[in-house]
Amino acid sequence: MKSKNKGKDFGIFALPGMFCFFAVVIIPFIYGVYLTFTDWDGVAEVKNFIGLANFQKVIEDHEFWTSMLLTFKYVILVVLLVNIIAFAIAYLLTRGFKGQNFFRAGFFTPNLIGGIVLGYIWQFVFSRVFVNIGESTGWSLFEASWLSDPNKAFAAMVLVSVWQLSGYMILIYVAGFMGLSEDVMEAASIDGASGWLKMRKIVLPLMMSSITICLFLTLSRAFMVYDVNLSLTAGGPYGTTEMAAMHVYEKAFTSRQFGAGQAEALILFIVVACISGLQVYLTKKQEVEA
Amino acid sequence: MKRKMAAKVIAAGLVVAMTAVGLSGCTFGFASDPDDPNEVEEEIPIDMSVDSFQYDSSLNGTSITLLNSKAEIQVALEEMGKVFEEKSGVHVEVMPVTDGESPYTKVVSLYNSGTPPTLSILDTTDVIALAEEKGEDLSGENWTAEAEDYLTKVNGKVYSFPLCIEGRGIIYNKAAIEEALGEEFDPSSIKTREDFTEILEELVAAGVEKPISVAKEDWSLGAHLLQYIYETYDGTSAGAQEIIEEIKDGSLDLESYDRMTGFLDTFDVLKKYNVAKADPLGADYDEMAIDLADGKTVFWVNGNWAWPNLEEAGAEKEDEYGFLPFFMSDDETDFANQMIQGSPSKQIMMDGQMASEEEKAAAREFLNWIVYSEIGQQMLVNTCNLIPPFQNNPYEPADPLSRDIYEKVQRGEAFNASAIVPNDHWSVLGAAMQKYLAGRSDREELIGSIEDYWAEQE
Repeated sequence: MKSKNKGKDFGIFALPGMFCFFAVVIIPFIYGVYLTFTDWDGVAEVKNFIGLANFQKVIEDHEFWTSMLLTFKYVILVVLLVNIIAFAIAYLLTRGFKGQNFFRAGFFTPNLIGGIVLGYIWQFVFSRVFVNIGESTGWSLFEASWLSDPNKAFAAMVLVSVWQLSGYMILIYVAGFMGLSEDVMEAASIDGASGWLKMRKIVLPLMMSSITICLFLTLSRAFMVYDVNLSLTAGGPYGTTEMAAMHVYEKAFTSRQFGAGQAEALILFIVVACISGLQVYLTKKQEVEA
Repeated sequence: MKRKMAAKVIAAGLVVAMTAVGLSGCTFGFASDPDDPNEVEEEIPIDMSVDSFQYDSSLNGTSITLLNSKAEIQVALEEMGKVFEEKSGVHVEVMPVTDGESPYTKVVSLYNSGTPPTLSILDTTDVIALAEEKGEDLSGENWTAEAEDYLTKVNGKVYSFPLCIEGRGIIYNKAAIEEALGEEFDPSSIKTREDFTEILEELVAAGVEKPISVAKEDWSLGAHLLQYIYETYDGTSAGAQEIIEEIKDGSLDLESYDRMTGFLDTFDVLKKYNVAKADPLGADYDEMAIDLADGKTVFWVNGNWAWPNLEEAGAEKEDEYGFLPFFMSDDETDFANQMIQGSPSKQIMMDGQMASEEEKAAAREFLNWIVYSEIGQQMLVNTCNLIPPFQNNPYEPADPLSRDIYEKVQRGEAFNASAIVPNDHWSVLGAAMQKYLAGRSDREELIGSIEDYWAEQE
């Protein structure tokens, strides 16, 4: 009975999904990998096979490695800050006080604004509002636009990303906290665990599944950051805040080196896949059941 | 309970802070988009009574597409398309290239998806990159004779229709200068860098503390300013090409190239009197337009495309704005000090690969209509507000910046040289120029980056 319908079931349930998945993910991906071995410029009719020459170009492209390094710095800061802040706020927001739903919604709002719009809003804040504050108060921190100094522009990027991403992670952590069993908490209290001890020994292990998903989401989103990068700093001042994804785009479409850009994209993909895979594997191992 | 209260207060504080920052964008209001296609402008009426153009009735019902990469004329082009359709029966669909999308990327992706536009408005470099592979040979068209000096040729063939002339230099606000100095200002009296510095000094003494605006945008610094070093070699496109080849193969030492040092000397003057001297990379483009219109500054290094911004900032069409050349030396006889740069910047390429014969014929008719019909001529100048490169077009642009360029072209006070540089020139060297503008690199480093950039090109 079961085996009789196997082909039909597959045809009805899996095939449409598989077809779409292959059509929009797998085949373009394989095609993309193929393009890294050609000299295609995006226009030409013929694509010449040139072996590993594109990867050679990537190795020689110092800016790519600089932007990779910068992206790593950015990712570490964003992932840490987002998760710490989101965890702490989520903890506050599950204490059961009046109006906490309102606050949850409030914190989530920045996440509803698209990255591009968000970038423009903050660009205005950094280069106009802050400068005006600086002018009227004389605070040297706000004297010049943050976006015209390489270090401050980088800080601005981190700040805005943290502000945007935290809301989403708060939501996941809140769900995690709500799922904590009252029985276990009560048992821990009766056993004399309180404060930090309870947090470390009971809450954190039980929250591991939320932490896994939040770390994964922040890692991948931070690595692939493009929209905020584009609208907030546009890689400036003088190219010092150009993250890896932006560099890949510039390489392919502004410098019109499609092959090299594609090769860089592939390398970025492998790096992100390895790191997030490793992270999921490691944090999953820490997960426990109540 | 107390703890709960504290948590509540902290959370409330954070929410307020976050939303306050989020909303501040709305309360203060954004500076308007310089290329806002929906901007309502007073229109110059088009005289439709005379039209001697011969329409080909067999094309009635044909539909063509036009990819537009010049956002500020989107509405005007749509209007042109509508009028053309009424007259000829050919439907012109105008597709905009949205902000943040490069025209080249757009046209390439349209080709790759098998639906290229019949006509595409592109930058000269893009036309050169695509012409031989995709473009239709337009060498035999009649209008080539009307715009002889403004044609772009790829291996001797014309693949593109020059849509407009754009010029750049140092924009002045005559009224503001006269008000500050209390005397008549004659732009033609400024003949050298020395004269220019002198008037700047006078202006500072008269209370205009920082008389110049310099845009920090990489396209402005990397393309419009730095390219003077190629274009003023001898004021021709061929000369620019020649000097680029010499830089590429290393036979020209940029350190001792007089146009390089001349350019940087003038750029240093601009830096010194820059209104945003304290934070040059924090300068805001829209604010520069407002400063110039208000007379807070009196010069702005830019081109005639700045007019919509100036107009939005309060400048009137009757006001006297015009261009000084970008001075390259202290030599009065130097052509670069007497002429401003004006060359065709946007070109229309016709698809030669996928378009049917009928579509091509309709597209040809549309181009001819722009050049030869009285209505098309008027609309190019008055509706689109462009400077026509065609000598048979009798209409004059209405805004002071375009009119100044138009008059300079007529009087032979403009040189037509456009350097053909790789597509990332503006962004890579724009960044190097930004660094120099901010005072974070010296001449040596800047020249080094230019040499490195060219050494990498094949």
